[in-house]
This record gives sequence, C-alpha cells and structure tokens, in this order.
Amino acid sequence: MSRLNPFAKLPGLNTASVLLVESEEHFQQSLAEALVEETSVTVNVRLAKSFPLPIENDESRPRIDLVVFIINLTSELSFQSAEASLKYLEPGYFLGKVCFMVTNARSSSVPAERLDAVRRLAASLHCPLLFAEEQTPEGVTNAAERLLTILKAAAGFVPFTTPLYLSNLTRCTLPPDIDQPSFD
Amino acid sequence: MYDTSKLLLQRLVRRIPTQMLKATLDKWGRLTVEQRQAMDFTQSKWALTQKLLSVCEVHALSVIMNDNPNQGMWYTFQLLEPENDAQSVELTQFKQQFKCHLSELLRQMSVKIKKHTDEAVWIRIALGSSFSKPNHLKPTYVVHYLQTPYVFVRNLTSKLKPLLSQALTLATRHQGVKEANLSGRNLTSIRDLLMRQYQQVFPTKYHSPPEEEDQPVLNQHIEKEQGGVAAHRRHMAHQAFGDGMLPQLQSAVYMLDTKFRDPNNRTMTEREETFKCVVKFSSINLLESLRSCASSGIASAPVTPLLSSIPLKGRNYFVVTDNTPGPSSQGHQTQN
Repeated sequence: MSRLNPFAKLPGLNTASVLLVESEEHFQQSLAEALVEETSVTVNVRLAKSFPLPIENDESRPRIDLVVFIINLTSELSFQSAEASLKYLEPGYFLGKVCFMVTNARSSSVPAERLDAVRRLAASLHCPLLFAEEQTPEGVTNAAERLLTILKAAAGFVPFTTPLYLSNLTRCTLPPDIDQPSFD
Repeated sequence: MYDTSKLLLQRLVRRIPTQMLKATLDKWGRLTVEQRQAMDFTQSKWALTQKLLSVCEVHALSVIMNDNPNQGMWYTFQLLEPENDAQSVELTQFKQQFKCHLSELLRQMSVKIKKHTDEAVWIRIALGSSFSKPNHLKPTYVVHYLQTPYVFVRNLTSKLKPLLSQALTLATRHQGVKEANLSGRNLTSIRDLLMRQYQQVFPTKYHSPPEEEDQPVLNQHIEKEQGGVAAHRRHMAHQAFGDGMLPQLQSAVYMLDTKFRDPNNRTMTEREETFKCVVKFSSINLLESLRSCASSGIASAPVTPLLSSIPLKGRNYFVVTDNTPGPSSQGHQTQN
C-alpha cells in the first residue's frame, strides 16, 4: 500500500501545497478558494474525499506540505473516514505536517463524545486542532488565515521555525477533566 | 333543484381559500369580463358568494373541474390485454361507451367528461346512494390518456372501484385492469415518470467529457485528486435517474418479506421465518434526493436495482421477497 511521503519530492519555488481531505466534499471548496488568494506565496490546493489517493496522480502531484483533515462533527462517518485515512500517511507527516479542522462544533446535535474523540486523536498524534465556522464568508476567511499560518511554517517559509517546532506550540492538548462526565 | 345548486356553489366557494378565489374564477371562465371586473374581491367571502349567485343563476352546477389539482393522492392503474381495436378508440366513442356502461351499473351518479389540451381526458364522477343525490363535494377524478394503458385516479371509493374498472376496461377495449403501484400528489409528475417524459441519460461506452456548466471555472491552483471517480459516480447516478428536472415523487415504499441477514446478529439470522418489515423513503422530491445520494457517494454506485427500478419501472410500491429470479409484477429479487 503506497503511502504519501512528505520528503520524496523537491519543493517548488515559493510554492506551498496543501491537501484538504473531507468526506463530505463541501467546505473544502470554499476554503480552497480563500486559500489561493494569498499573494506572498503561491498556494496549491489539492482536494480529496479520502485516502488512498488515486495512483494515476502520483507523478503530477507536487510535494504536499500540509495535510488537513476536515471533520464535520455532526457526522460520525466524517470522523471515521478521517481516522481510516491516517494510515495512508508516512510517519514523517506527523511531525507538524498534519492538522485537524473541525466544523459544526457549536451544533446542538453533536454528542460530546465525538468532540472528545477528535481531541484524543489530535492529542495522540501531536497535531493542532482548529475549529472553523463554514457557513459565513468571514468564518471561511478566518479559517483560511489560520491555516495559512500553519502552512507557511510547514512549507518552510518562516525563518527559524520548523513545522515540528510550531506543532509543539500549537498541538492539541487534552483538558485534565476530559474523562469526567459533562454537565449535559 | 335550483336551491341545491345554490347551496353547492356556496359550499364550494367557501372551501376555496380567499387568495386563490380570483384566480379560480378566472380559470373557471364562466363569468364574462364585465362580471369578473364587477366582483369586488375586497369584500367578505359571504358577500362575494351572494354576488356570485346572483350573477350565475343559470349554470350554477357547471362545477369547477380542477380547483386543487395538487391536493390528495393520485393512484395509477394499468389496462391489460388490449383487444384488436383498442388502438383506434377515440374520444366520442370512449365517452359514449363509458357513460353508457357506468349508468347501467349505477343509478344516482353524475359523470362529466372533458378533454384537455394536453390530450388528457378528465372524468369527474359524483356518486350518490339509492336514497340521495350525487355528492358533488367528494367527487372521484379519473384521468386517462387515450391509446395509452394508464389511468390515474383520485379519491376513489371502494364502492366505485369495481364498477369503474369494469366501465374503463369495456370503454377502452381492454380485458382487464390492475393496480400499477405508483402514487403521488402531483399528477403531471407521475404521468411524466410513467411515460418517460423527462430527460434521460442513455448508457454509453465512452463517457463524454465532463460538463463545464456544473464545475465553475476552477482556479488553476485548486485541483481535485479524485475528480475522475466523482465524475463517474455522477454519470452513473444520472444514468439511473435521469438528467435535469425530475418528476416529483413523494415516497417510495418497500414491503420486505425476506430472511434476516446480519453476520453480527446470530439469533435473528438463525430464525427460520422471514422477517417482515416496511421501508419507506419520503421526501419533497424523492428522485432528486436519490440522485444526489448516488452522485455524492452516500449510496453505492452503480445504483442498486432496488432504487433504480423506481424510474425504470415507474413504480413506487415494491414487495421484495427471497424468490429466485423470475420477474413477476409484485416480486423483486433482493440484493445479496
């Protein structure tokens, strides 16, 4: 089974590539459009539904600097699909080149266990966990800005900062009372 | 006689919602232009009714044929075994035969037959019992397209059903009629579904290049990894259900009478008897939702025959049993 390798290819000049993985294929489109508006670097966005990626694209695919898993908290399938996709990434990605983005966290239909499960997953992999609001354009631009900050570090555009260093600062940590029952 | 028709008109006008009253009266077409303009629609309904009654004294019984075409459920029947001259049945012959047969069977009834511009023959039947006049407030509507074997019925009572079947088969020169297992609220939709009058996609060996109109011009920096797979899924979904606007169906019902199969549940699987259950899908536009389920990957592609036979066979009521493959009008093999 072929895994995605972070260091197998040469990077492009002044280019950063990000792969957005989302089971619903809904938010990734608007997020991609907000990401490519960045002017200081050329941002290439690849969209996928899940892993494994089609092997026909292996040749033409640029070096992926950051893999973002977009999880819709209202759907269990979304979380399971993201979890199942993790095994198709080389371990090198988990040194700061993977990020989790969660949508619909404020929705009342979300069971608390699911957010806890996502937190545990992100914490165990030492990855940052971002919360995004996908329904308004401001929410989308906000999410894109935060993602760009991580992307620039992951692609090596920030001097004296490696992705591993940044992920140490931004990674998800579990609150100490995560195992205790919540109020509702 | 005159008073009952006045009463009937009063009740009819009362049933029509006030906003639709003007439109309905225009559609009715019985009032002349001056009379229509003289009607003051800002008055209360009671005042309006009185005005209306005074205006149309003579023909108060010419009832409003389709005041609410989208209310109530339409059921489909199919005529079977046409005789040799079934194809040559035309309107006057049909009208005469139908009225003649039905009046032989029923005493108190009122039948009106009218042909609309789209070749549909509308029949309005109001039944009464041996003691009472025909009840015009609960009429049965029958729509038939001549030379096709399909009949659409709304508001059929169990008393009228065998008599109507008999009259229809004789008048259209067939030998039988059966239920076609298709029902819906919207007559044009079920008609379009049955007669395949919606845009269809025929299976091709070589797919056409992906249409540009549904993918907005993507930024050259954005690229889809699994675009080919998505396009393939979309093509299969459109092949199963059709392109463009789809006829509106409200529900699909599957009556299952099969053995329970689940590798994780041994107790239920080991039972000898079949597991009976009913699965019902309902939506504002069922075919549209099934098509988007298939093209987004929620339903597996190629589309399972259980779902694709809704548009293919024009039915939305299925009985699914464990029989070996052998097509019967009610049975349908389960997908293992």
